[in-house]
Amino acid sequence: MKRTLMLLFPIALLLASTLSAHHSFSATYDTGKTVSIEGKVIQFLLRNPHSFLHIEVKDKEGKVAVYNVEWAAAGQLNGTIAASIKSGDLVTISGNPGRDPADLRLRMVNIKRTDGQTWGFDPGQVVN
Amino acid sequence: MKTIYLLVGVLLVAGASIGAQVQAPGASSGNGAGLGPMVAGTDFSGSWRPQQLVTESQTAAGDLADFGGIPLNDAARVYALSWPASRQTVKQHQCMGYVTPYFWYAPGNYRIWEERDPYTQRLVSWRFYGQIAQGDRTVYMDGRPHPPAYAPHTFAGFSTGEYQGNTLTVTTTHLKRGWIKANGVPQSDAATVVEHFVRHGDNITVLAVIDDPVYLTEPLSKASLLVRMAKDPDAWLYPCDDSEQIFGRKSDVVPNHLFGQNPYAREYADRRKQPLLAALGGAETMYPELANAIRDTTAAENLAKARMMPSGPPAVSRAPDPTPKDGEIHTLRVSGDVYLLAGDGANIAVQVGPQGAFVVDTGSGKLADKVIAAIAKLSAKPIQFILNTTFRPDHTGGNAKLQMAGADPSVTGSFFSMQFQGAGRGATIISQLNTQSRMVEQKLPAPPSDTFAEDRRRKYYNGEAVEAFPMPNATTDGDSIVHFRRADVIVAGDIFTTTEYPHIDTKNGGSLQGEINALNFILDRTVYIHDEDGGTMIIPGHGRVTDEWEVAEYRDMLVIIRDRVQAMIKAGATLQQTQAARPTFDYDVRYGATSGPWTTNMFVEAVYTSLKNPPKTENAR
Repeated sequence: MKRTLMLLFPIALLLASTLSAHHSFSATYDTGKTVSIEGKVIQFLLRNPHSFLHIEVKDKEGKVAVYNVEWAAAGQLNGTIAASIKSGDLVTISGNPGRDPADLRLRMVNIKRTDGQTWGFDPGQVVN
Repeated sequence: MKTIYLLVGVLLVAGASIGAQVQAPGASSGNGAGLGPMVAGTDFSGSWRPQQLVTESQTAAGDLADFGGIPLNDAARVYALSWPASRQTVKQHQCMGYVTPYFWYAPGNYRIWEERDPYTQRLVSWRFYGQIAQGDRTVYMDGRPHPPAYAPHTFAGFSTGEYQGNTLTVTTTHLKRGWIKANGVPQSDAATVVEHFVRHGDNITVLAVIDDPVYLTEPLSKASLLVRMAKDPDAWLYPCDDSEQIFGRKSDVVPNHLFGQNPYAREYADRRKQPLLAALGGAETMYPELANAIRDTTAAENLAKARMMPSGPPAVSRAPDPTPKDGEIHTLRVSGDVYLLAGDGANIAVQVGPQGAFVVDTGSGKLADKVIAAIAKLSAKPIQFILNTTFRPDHTGGNAKLQMAGADPSVTGSFFSMQFQGAGRGATIISQLNTQSRMVEQKLPAPPSDTFAEDRRRKYYNGEAVEAFPMPNATTDGDSIVHFRRADVIVAGDIFTTTEYPHIDTKNGGSLQGEINALNFILDRTVYIHDEDGGTMIIPGHGRVTDEWEVAEYRDMLVIIRDRVQAMIKAGATLQQTQAARPTFDYDVRYGATSGPWTTNMFVEAVYTSLKNPPKTENAR
């Protein structure tokens, strides 16, 4: 029995040709939750592997914090979006919160600018 | 059992090989001695994509604390549990390359092609290219040897291959520390990976066996499958470019979980309704006997909890020391005109050119004559400058002989020359002021005569800008690093080694925070070529030549240990209690020592002492 199991195990490994994302969003973010922030764009980093937006957010007491919003790869955002986002833009962003609260991270679900322009990963939106 | 398990894997590959649809000619020796081996075998060239996921057990990233089926040791488990995904936002981690076999688990395209000598048409190498990290591997088929142990490691490593029937077997060494699984399960830089490639028509099976003396208790087999694409996908790039992903984060912040405080340690096990013991991995999770271990659920739970904390006897480094110990001096060109001379205690760096030789550190002095002979092979001109990065005898022991073998024409040939006794009698020795003072105090031979204190010492020598920077309160209060700017080589002295914990000498002004600051200073000057490989090269005080990745790894380790010890100090722990808690546990298998001049306990004492009573100038830079 034991030997049979040992034989089956490597077969399973061979069949289990495997693949998942090279880094796991679910390890970084609470993908079961979505939160929303409103604030001002400080910086847009158009980068691979993923782009980041830094958003200055004021809480109810007026205390300012900078949120780090992970977006898509540079190749996905290059073009009109990259040309359009500017420092100082006022935006509302919804996203999955980071597992480590100290990082003030979000994984972008969608972003809406005060001029009504919207991007995101929801159905019908640009970027994927 | 281990033997049987491996045998089954090998037989499986062999069986697949027999059934392969592509029949290849056997290897032939060829005629023509000196042309290299004539090898022939299965053709693997083409564009390939990875087969999609079937199970989670072999995924690239995986869930947090999902280590089942991996024969990791206790140190690797604790290492993985201290890893939060937030670590990926640390600058040097954002574009971390992929070691094999992790290389084959990326979701992008792969291209495989052969390279042949244009004149003999003999197979020189197979090339494996992966899109996601733009990994570019060369598998030499021409019989060349692997590089020496003191040569740099890369994420691709150094690979050689041979055909065994229809199977291409590839052996890779000189890998960097990478991932077995990117949920924190490490593969060490001492790992050797053997991959077997078998083609079945439009599929390639890759069966890889990782042998890692540092983090695994037995070899780990991983399999992946590639599917041939009829048409080239024309999608091959994913250039990575790091950035300040977390705004305002300081460079000495490295996210980590303290021992036993990973809030997600049992998330995977609970969600999958698995015993925690099974999720935490270890060799027993590869075998059916695991069922016996988890039958008593309470005992299994208690055992799992115990395995999340340091345990067992003190560990020593399981990574081989790359320093040659054959009584000879070994020369390695690092970049440009800068060379490593290894074999006489601490590493020696030499820059050569039309003006002469600039030597950084002189070794222990036991092989000084051979060091001088090795330098003479590189430069017909004499040694003009010697710079000591520290006062320690293994770095300065050759000062007297190397000085007298050299000459400094800027002294002997200058105005007022020879008016002072000894002026120009040999090379000029330079160091940070405190290194000179220590050498004089300790009556070490041939102390430096040319010093600098807080400002950089700079020269334009052999057509190259050379800068020496003092690093206050790092391993001592007299350390410095040297940057050869055209070759782009940094000589780090004992601030960075690949063989041991930093020798922080608190009695002579060393401190942990100063050491971390010095490593970050180095990292502020380095630039990689591609995905944390190459670019600025680093010659450590001891060990092999590296680039910034290993410096960042070393910095990360020290920050994590600092955070652990700092937390214990805050909780009122004594030195003995701190040592007993083993704050270096997950790194001892790579850097630890229980005997010799610098033990793990001595290092922890230095950490504790310098955190409790930091020197006032440790943040001076």
